Amino acid sequence: MTRGLLHRAATALAVVLPLALLTGCAGGDNAKTTLTVATYGEFGYEPLFAEYEATHPGIEVKSRVTDFDSHHRGLATQLAAGHGAADVVAVEEQYLPLFRQSADKFVNLAEFGALDLRGQWVPWKWEQGVTDGGRVVLGLGTDMGGLAMCYRRDLFARANLPTDRAEVAALWPTWEDFARVADRFSAAVTDAKFADSAGTIYAAILNQAEENYFAKSDDSFSADRNPNVRRAFDIAGGIGAKGQTARVTTYTQPWTVAIKQGAFATIACPAWLLKQIEDAGGAENAGKWDVTTVPGNAGNQGGSFLTLPRQGAHHREAYDLAAWLTAPAQQKRLFLRDGILPSQPAVYQDPDVVGSTNAYFSNAPVGQIFARSADTLRPNYRGLRDAEVRPKFGQALGRVEEGKQTLEQAWAQALQQASDAVR
Amino acid sequence: MSGVRQTTRPVRSTRSTRPARRAPSAAPARRGPGVLVYALLVAVVVVSVFPLYWAVVVASRDGSAIGERVPPLVPGGHLLDNLRELVDTVDLWLALGNSLIVAGTVMVSNVVLATLAGFAFARLRFPGRNSLFLVVVGTAMMPTQLGVIPLYLVVGDLGWYGRLEAVIVPGLVSAFSVFWMRQACEEAVPVELVEAARSDGCSLPRTVWHVVVPLVRPQAAVLGMLSFLAAWNDFFWPLIVLDPNDTPTVQVALSRLASGYYTDYALLLTGVSVAAVPVVVLFLLLARHIVSGILRGAVRG
Amino acid sequence: MVLAWAARLAAPARRQRRVVLLARLDARATPLLFVAPFFVLFAVFGVFPLAYTAWISLHDWQLVNGDQGFVGLANYAALFTDPHFYNALGNTVSMLVLATVPQLFAGLGIAALLNRPLRTAVFWRAGVLLPNAVSVVAVTLVFAQLFGRDFGVANWVLDQLGVPPVDWQANRLAAHLAVAATVTWRWTGYNALLYLAAMQSVDQELYEAAELDGASRWRAFWAVTVPAIRPTIGFTAFSATVGGLQLFVEPQLFDVSGLGGIGGTDRQFQTITMYLYEKGFGVFDAGYAAAIAWVLALLCGGCVLVGLGLVRRLARRGRL
Repeated sequence: MTRGLLHRAATALAVVLPLALLTGCAGGDNAKTTLTVATYGEFGYEPLFAEYEATHPGIEVKSRVTDFDSHHRGLATQLAAGHGAADVVAVEEQYLPLFRQSADKFVNLAEFGALDLRGQWVPWKWEQGVTDGGRVVLGLGTDMGGLAMCYRRDLFARANLPTDRAEVAALWPTWEDFARVADRFSAAVTDAKFADSAGTIYAAILNQAEENYFAKSDDSFSADRNPNVRRAFDIAGGIGAKGQTARVTTYTQPWTVAIKQGAFATIACPAWLLKQIEDAGGAENAGKWDVTTVPGNAGNQGGSFLTLPRQGAHHREAYDLAAWLTAPAQQKRLFLRDGILPSQPAVYQDPDVVGSTNAYFSNAPVGQIFARSADTLRPNYRGLRDAEVRPKFGQALGRVEEGKQTLEQAWAQALQQASDAVR
Repeated sequence: MSGVRQTTRPVRSTRSTRPARRAPSAAPARRGPGVLVYALLVAVVVVSVFPLYWAVVVASRDGSAIGERVPPLVPGGHLLDNLRELVDTVDLWLALGNSLIVAGTVMVSNVVLATLAGFAFARLRFPGRNSLFLVVVGTAMMPTQLGVIPLYLVVGDLGWYGRLEAVIVPGLVSAFSVFWMRQACEEAVPVELVEAARSDGCSLPRTVWHVVVPLVRPQAAVLGMLSFLAAWNDFFWPLIVLDPNDTPTVQVALSRLASGYYTDYALLLTGVSVAAVPVVVLFLLLARHIVSGILRGAVRG
Repeated sequence: MVLAWAARLAAPARRQRRVVLLARLDARATPLLFVAPFFVLFAVFGVFPLAYTAWISLHDWQLVNGDQGFVGLANYAALFTDPHFYNALGNTVSMLVLATVPQLFAGLGIAALLNRPLRTAVFWRAGVLLPNAVSVVAVTLVFAQLFGRDFGVANWVLDQLGVPPVDWQANRLAAHLAVAATVTWRWTGYNALLYLAAMQSVDQELYEAAELDGASRWRAFWAVTVPAIRPTIGFTAFSATVGGLQLFVEPQLFDVSGLGGIGGTDRQFQTITMYLYEKGFGVFDAGYAAAIAWVLALLCGGCVLVGLGLVRRLARRGRL
C-alpha cells in the first residue's frame, strides 16, 4: 500500500515536472571502473577528471561536492557504517588528526608505493599525512595555506607606522615585536583595532613550534610543560586582553562587516583568505590592503589531503587517480587556473607561481611571500587526540577577549579542560 | 503519559452533550475586522518576510553587499547575473525536481496516513489502542541527531544509498503528524457523526472519506504545508545519504555553495531565494484550504 | 450526505448476513490497518535506531572505530557528574522558558487575528509561516546582523535609548534572549497556523451565544475559542516543549564558530543537543553521546508529564 501510494504520488509529481529533469540518471557502464571523488568546496578538479577519463579509457570519474562540515561528518558516518564512502575522499588539515585515530579504516598508501613520492611535498605537508612513525601513509597532500600577514596601509599610515611591506616586515621579526607594534598602533588609533582576533594570532604562533599539545617522542599530553604553548597563549592573549583585537571570526557576517569598515589593521592570512577579504572589502577598499611576511616568517593554515577509505572496491585505480591529481603537473595547472596554492616546492618555486602578484592587495608579490613562508615552516607534530584539546585554548582566548577572565584564569581553565579531555 | 489521554477526555464529553448545531447561514453578519487588525497583521508579516526579502536584496547585488554597516534594503541589478552563475554552478533544475518529488510525496503521504491513524486513535476502538498511542508519543521525544548512524545502516541494507527513497520512505509518516491529526479529530469530528455513519452501514474507509476528511480539512491543509516544509528544508540527513551529483535536493545543492574556504554570499543567497519560491507557491495554494469543514451544522434532525 | 445517513438511521436496518460479517470485520480490522503504516515504518526506521543507540550508550564507542568494550552504565554515571551536562541542561531550560511562552501566546494572538474574516486571507496566512520556510542560512545571517556586537541593529536601538551596547554572544542572559528571540521568530507563525486550523472547527453557534450574552470579543476568545481548541493547545505545548528541549539549530548557528562551536567561549548558551553533537560528531565519543540522547528523551518524557499535570490543575481551576 505504502509503495503503491508512494509510486503514484511520485508519478503524479513527475508528470508536472519538465521531463528534462529526470534525464540525469546515470546508467552504469559495466565495462568501466567508476571512481567517485568526494571533496568539499571546489578543488578545481572537474576538467582534470575529464582529461583523466580520456587518457584512461577504463575509468569513469564521478565527483561529489558538499560543504565542509557535511563532507567530514558524512565521511565519519560512512566509515562507521562500513560503506557508502567515495573511492577518493579529501580530508582537511584540521580533521586529519581525528581520522588518524581510525587509520585502519583507510588504505595505507605506502602499499602502493606512496613512500617513493615523498620528495614531491614540502616536508611538513608530508608529515601531516602520515602516522605510525611515517610507516602508514593516510593521504597525499593537495593544496596548502601558506601564511602571510595582511595589513591596512591606510590605518598604518594613520598610526605613523611605515606602510612599505619590507619596512613593515622589519617591524616584526618576532611575535613579541608584533605585540609591541600592536601597542604603538593602539596608542595612535582608537577607532580601529590592531588585529582580527587573538585566536588567529595564537594559531599562527603555535604553528611555528615543532610540538604543540603532545610530545613527539611518546604522544603524551605536554601542553603544561611545553613553553611554546604558553608563549603563544601569552602573546596572543596579551594582545586580546588589552582590547587590541576586533574579536571577529573568519567567515562570519561580523567579520565581513569589519573588513568592509576597516575595523582592524592586520590579519594573519593564509593564501586562500585573500579572495574572501577582497570580496568582503569590495571595490572601495582596493589598494588599501597589502601583504607582507608573518612574524617568524613561516606558517601554514589549512590545506587538504586525498585519502582512500578502505571500504572502496578499487584501491589500485583510486590510488593512481589520487597520485595523478596531486602530481606536480596538475598542482601547477590548478594554481594557474584557480589560484590554488600548491604544496610541492617544485611547483611553488616555479617562476610562474613565485612571480604572481595580487592587484587588490597593492600588487603584493604573494607568490613569493606564500612560497617562502611554506618553505621555512618545519613539520609540527600533532598528537592523536589533538582535536579534543585544541579548541579549549581557542575558547580560553575568547574569554580573555570578552573580559570574562584574566589570562591566568583562562589558561588554568583551558589546561584543566584539556587534561580532563585526554584523561 | 496517561495524562495525554486524560486531558482530552473532558473535551470529548463536552462534544457529545453539545446541542445540535445550526446551519451557518443563520449566523448574524459579523463585522469586518478594523484597521487595528490589519495594522497588527502588517507588522507580523513584515517581520516574518524580512529575512527572505533581505536574501533577495543581497541576491540582487554583488558579493560585498553583506558587509555594509547598514544592511542594504533596496534590491540592486545583479539578480540575473547571480541567477546565471547559480545555474552554472549547481544543477538547480535537477535539485528542484528532486526536492519536489521528495517533499511532495512526503506531504501527500503524511496527510493521508496521519489522517487515517489519527482518526483511528481518536474515534475508533481497537485492541492495544492506548499502548500503541503511547509509542507514537514516545517516538516524538527521541532526539534524532545520533540516530543517523543506525538509520544509515538500515538504508544501506535496503540498497538506497544515493537514492531518493532514502529520504522519502523514512519520512512518509511521522509521530508528530499522527499526534496532530489525532488531536484534530478529537476537536473536529463529533462522535455522533461517526456513529451515525457507522450504524448506517458505511464502511470505515468511506466514513473517513465522506465524514472525517471534510471536517479536518483545515488541519490536514496545515499538516500538508508543514510536512512539505520539513522535507524541503531538511539537510542533515539528505547531505549524508544522497549523492550530491546524481540525486541532489535543493538543500544539498545549496550546501555546495556554502563550502570550502570561500563563500560567495550573493550566490548563496540567490540559491536561498530560489529555494523559497516553490514553498511560497505551495503555501498560497494550500492556505485557502484552511477553512471550516463544509458539513458543519448538518447533523440536525 | 450526512443528512441522508441520519435519515436512513431512523429506518429499521434489515441487512444481509454477509454485510453484517463484513461490517464486523471492518470494525475490527480496519482500525489496525489505519494505524499500521506508521508502525511498519516505525519498526523499520525507528525501533532499530533507538535500540542501537541504547546499545551504544552501554559501550565505550568511538564514532568511526566502533565498539571499544562494554562499560555498563559508566557513560551515564559520568554524565551525571559532568558539570558541562548540568550547564547545558540549565541553558536549555532557560531558553525553553524564554522562547516557548511568548511563542505560544503570540501564536494564539496571531491565530485570533487570522481567524477574522480578512480580505486576502491567503496572503496573511502564507505570510506568517514564511519564517519557517526560509533556509537557516539566511536566518543566521540576518540574526547575526540583528545581534551583532559592533554593528548590530539591536545595539543601535539600545544606543538610541541611552543603554550601553550588549555583547550578545558573551553575556549568558543576553545570549539566551537572542536565541529565544530567534526561536520565537521562527516558530510563532507555525503555531499560529496550527491554532488557526483548530479555530476553524469551533462551532459558530457558541460565538453567537456569547455575543447574545453581551460578551466582548476578548471575553469570547477566552470563554469559547480557547476551551474549544484545548487538544490543539496541548499538542503545541507538547511539541514546543519537546522541540525546546531538543533545541539545536538556532543556538548552534548563533555561535560564530558554526557547527564546531560549543555555545560561546564558556558554553554560556550550549544546549543539551549541542553537547550531544559536540561529543558525538566533534570528538567522536559516540557512547557518551548516546547516553546523552537517552537521558534527553527521558527528560522530554518527564517534562511532558509535569506540563500535563500543570495543565490539568489549571483546567480544574477553570483558567484554561
